[in-house]
Amino acid sequence: MINIIKVLFKKEVTDASRDKRSVMAGLYYAIGAPIGMCLLMSILLQQLASPDALKIIIENANSAPGLVAHLASSDIKVADDKNDPLLKPITLSISDDYKQNLSEGRPATVTLIADKSDDKLGKHINRVEKAMAVYSSEIASLRLVSRGIDPNLMRALAIEVNDQATPDSKGGMILGLVTFSIILTLFYAAMSLAIDTSAGERERNSLSLLLSHPLSSLHIVLAKVGAITAFSMLGLVIILVVSKVVYPMVAWEQLGFSITITPEFMLFCIAICFPIALMSSSLQVFVSFMAKSFKEAQSYVTMVLFIPMALSMVTTYDIATDVVQWLPIAAQQFALMEFIKGNPIPVPQLLLSTGVTVVLFALFSFLSARMLKSEKVVFGL
Amino acid sequence: MINVSNLSKKIGDVNALNGLSFSAENGKITGLLGPNGAGKTTCLRTVFGLLKADSGFAEIDGIDVAKQPMQAKQNLGLFPDPCGLYERLTPREYISFFAQLSGLSAAQAKEATTQVIDKLSMSDIADRRCQGFSQGQRMKTALAQAVVHNPTNVILDEPTRGLDVMSTRILRELLLLLKAQGHCVLFSSHVMQEVAALCDHVVIMAKGQVIAQGSIEQLCEQAGKDTLEEAFIALIGSDEGIAA
Repeated sequence: MINIIKVLFKKEVTDASRDKRSVMAGLYYAIGAPIGMCLLMSILLQQLASPDALKIIIENANSAPGLVAHLASSDIKVADDKNDPLLKPITLSISDDYKQNLSEGRPATVTLIADKSDDKLGKHINRVEKAMAVYSSEIASLRLVSRGIDPNLMRALAIEVNDQATPDSKGGMILGLVTFSIILTLFYAAMSLAIDTSAGERERNSLSLLLSHPLSSLHIVLAKVGAITAFSMLGLVIILVVSKVVYPMVAWEQLGFSITITPEFMLFCIAICFPIALMSSSLQVFVSFMAKSFKEAQSYVTMVLFIPMALSMVTTYDIATDVVQWLPIAAQQFALMEFIKGNPIPVPQLLLSTGVTVVLFALFSFLSARMLKSEKVVFGL
Repeated sequence: MINVSNLSKKIGDVNALNGLSFSAENGKITGLLGPNGAGKTTCLRTVFGLLKADSGFAEIDGIDVAKQPMQAKQNLGLFPDPCGLYERLTPREYISFFAQLSGLSAAQAKEATTQVIDKLSMSDIADRRCQGFSQGQRMKTALAQAVVHNPTNVILDEPTRGLDVMSTRILRELLLLLKAQGHCVLFSSHVMQEVAALCDHVVIMAKGQVIAQGSIEQLCEQAGKDTLEEAFIALIGSDEGIAA
C-alpha cells in the first residue's frame, strides 16, 4: 500500500511541478504577500514620522501673532498662494476683539471653518485643533502664574502609566496580519494545483483510467493530498524566509515594537502548520471532486476558503470569543502570535485544535475516496 | 478470459445494457461490434469496474469484478476511450507509472517500458511530453500503457481511431502477437475492416443487447451474406425490425 501511494505521490509531484502556471500562482503569493505588506507599512510609517507641512487660511492673522507663531512651530502655516498644493480647505477666523479679550483675560474667539465630513480632511482638522488646544493651555498656565497661582492646581490626577509590554508584544494588529498572511499561504499556495489534480484530472479523462487499475480510491486521494500538502509547505517555507528577510527592513521601532522572525518561530510555525496544510489540501480536493467541472471547482474552492479566512480574521482583529479560540486555525494562529510575543503558548487550545484539524483531514480524505467510488462523480454526471 | 453474464445497466432513463452476455476466450481476439450508442463503452467500463451493473456480472479469469475488484483487475490491461494521457508527462514516465500501478517494481517497470517502446516503434517520442501529440501518437502511448505489464486480458475501446496506416499495422501485429502468446484480447470497434481482419470471435451488439455472435464465417452464414459488413447491417436491421 505504501509503495503504491509512493508511486502515485511521485507522479502527482512531477505532474504538478511541471504545471508552471499553477506553481507560480502559489509562489507569487508566498513571495509577494510579505513584501507588499512591508512596502505598505513603510509608506504608512513614513507618513506618521514626518507629517506633511500643512497650510491653511487664517483670516485677520495680524490680530493674533502669538497664535500664528505657535501654529507655525507645529508646521501649520498661513498660505500665501491660493493655488498652493499644500493648502487645505481649513480656515481660522480670528475675531476682531481677539486682541482685547486676550489681554483682558477673557476667552478670545477663534472660529475654525472646515468640512468635518470630509474623511481626508479629518486628520488635518485634528492637528489644527490639537495645536490650538496646546496654545490655549500654555496661555492659561501663564495667566495663573502671573496671578501667583500654581498651574498644577488644574491637574487633579497625576496619571502615570507603567507599560509592561515588550517591544515584541506590542505589535497587536500588525502581528495578527503577519500570522494571517502566513496561515493563508497554506490555503492559497497550492489552490490551483489542488483543483488541477482533482477536477482537472477528471476533465482530462485520466481519473477513470487511474481508477480502472488495481488500487483503492483512498490511495489516490492520499497521494493527491500529500502532493498538494508538499506544495503548501513549500509556500509556507518561502513566506517564512521572505518574511525573515523583509520584516526587519521596516522601521517598526517608530511604533514602539518589533517583529522578529526567529529560526525557532519558523520551526514552530512549520510544525503547527503541517496539520493545517493536510486539512486544507484534503478540503480542496473534496470540494473540487464535488464540482462537476474545473470552472465550477474554482468557484466552489474560492467560496469554501472564506471559512478558514474568517477564522483567521477573527484572531487577527482580536474579536474572537472564548469559544472561537478553541477552533482550528483560530487557535493555531493565536499560538503563533503568542510565540512571537514571547508569551506562554495556549497549549490546551493548540492541542485540541490540532486534533480537530487532523480529524478533519481524515474525514475529508475518506469522503473524497468514497466519492470516487460513485459513477456520477467519476464521470461528472 | 473475460465472461459477461446478463449485464443490465440503466444510465438516466436509457437502458445502456439490457441483459448482455458473451465470453472472450484466451488465445483469441474478440471484437465487440456495434453502431454508435450500442453500449460498447458502457459494457467495457462495467468490465473494468468503473460502472456498477444493475444486474448480472462480469468476470475476469473467473473473478467477479464487482465483488473482488483488486484481484480481478490484476491481470487486466486497458486502453480507454478517450486515452486519458497526462499531458505534462513523457510517454516513458506515463507507461512506467501505470506499469508500477499494475504491480511491477520500479526496475521491472523501467525494463518493461523500454521493451514496449521498442515494440511499438515509439522511441522518437518516448521522452517528449505528451502535450501536442498527434492522435496517432496518443493512441500508441495509451496502447503501450495497456500492454506494458503483459496482462493476461487486454481490453481496448476503439483502438484504431485516428491511427495512420503504419500505426494500424503495428497495432494489428501487436494484437496478433498477444493472441499467439495466449492472451485474451477484447476490443470494441465500429470499423468493419479491423474486425474482419483481426477477430476470431465477433459479438454484434445493439441497444445494449447481443444481436448475434460467432466467427465471421458463422455470422455471414447466419445472415446469408458474403461479407461481414452486409451481415452486420442485415443483423442490426432485423433487430430494429423486431424491436419496432
